Amino acid sequence: MTALVAIAVVGLGTYMSRAVFILALANRRIPDPILVALQFVAPAVLSALVVALLINEDGSVGIGLPELSAFAVGALVAYRTRNHIYTLAAGMGVFWVFRALI
Amino acid sequence: MSWDRAVVKQAIADALPLYVPAIPFALIIGLAVVDSGMNHFVGWSSAWLIFGGAAQLTVISLLGAGTALIAAITAGLVVNARHVMYSAAVAPAFQGQPRWMQWIGPYVLIDQLFALSSLRLDNDPKTFRTYYLAAGATFWTLWQTSVAAGLFIGPVIPDSWSLEFAVPILFIGLIVIGVDRFPKLVAALAGAGVTYLFAGLPNRAGLLVGAAVGVLAGTIAERLR
Repeated sequence: MTALVAIAVVGLGTYMSRAVFILALANRRIPDPILVALQFVAPAVLSALVVALLINEDGSVGIGLPELSAFAVGALVAYRTRNHIYTLAAGMGVFWVFRALI
Repeated sequence: MSWDRAVVKQAIADALPLYVPAIPFALIIGLAVVDSGMNHFVGWSSAWLIFGGAAQLTVISLLGAGTALIAAITAGLVVNARHVMYSAAVAPAFQGQPRWMQWIGPYVLIDQLFALSSLRLDNDPKTFRTYYLAAGATFWTLWQTSVAAGLFIGPVIPDSWSLEFAVPILFIGLIVIGVDRFPKLVAALAGAGVTYLFAGLPNRAGLLVGAAVGVLAGTIAERLR
């Protein structure tokens, strides 16, 4: 039930962020300082999420050699190929290999 | 309303290759729903209620990891805040559209449709509308189907594969592809670093601190250039 609430609220918020200029403010421009800040939202929050998803119950962060290696290789493959499928395959592959070795 | 078939065909032909990179996201969202323990139908509903892979994955994996409701909602909303830019960018092409189009259009304004439609802002209103709706419907249908497919694949994959780790890897891919300038790199590094420092905060609230500092750091880096 709480999951449905969260999903519905984020859904509504997402719709509003997509609709705001189309429906309501068609003749307005986004003020420049906000436009500058908006472009940093995706990199900042996605990288914060990467870390947040690895936080353990006790507040420690579960980043060891397997995770770091997987991120490094995944980042390199994403940079070279711009392809999410290759990135996922390379990252998970490295993660599994390191986990098996350690 | 008559549809211009050539435009519809072109829209579908343009949409299909752009959709391919989204397939792993859809499948991992399905897996994350299974992993989170939430009701499968509720999890799948995110595909049509949110219709945005990164935000869906954020909300579902955070809730599954026991994050507080408010923090999960805030994170999901922040992830999707970039759509405000898309909305502003395509708004001129919606000026001459009927009101129903102005209401339906935003619902399908995902990254891929933004990329496609921003190349056609100067089309006549009817052609733009046909192209936009045909491409949007294509993405929408494929997305609902592939997230559902992930739900069916999810239970079959053994826990020992630790596929929940696919979520941060996919985000790393999004970050790397999105970071095209130095200030964005600063934003990403600050976001990760500060979240790490505040990892001890309850309910993963460090995520919000990290995201806020990341945006601030990127803005400052931009100013200093």
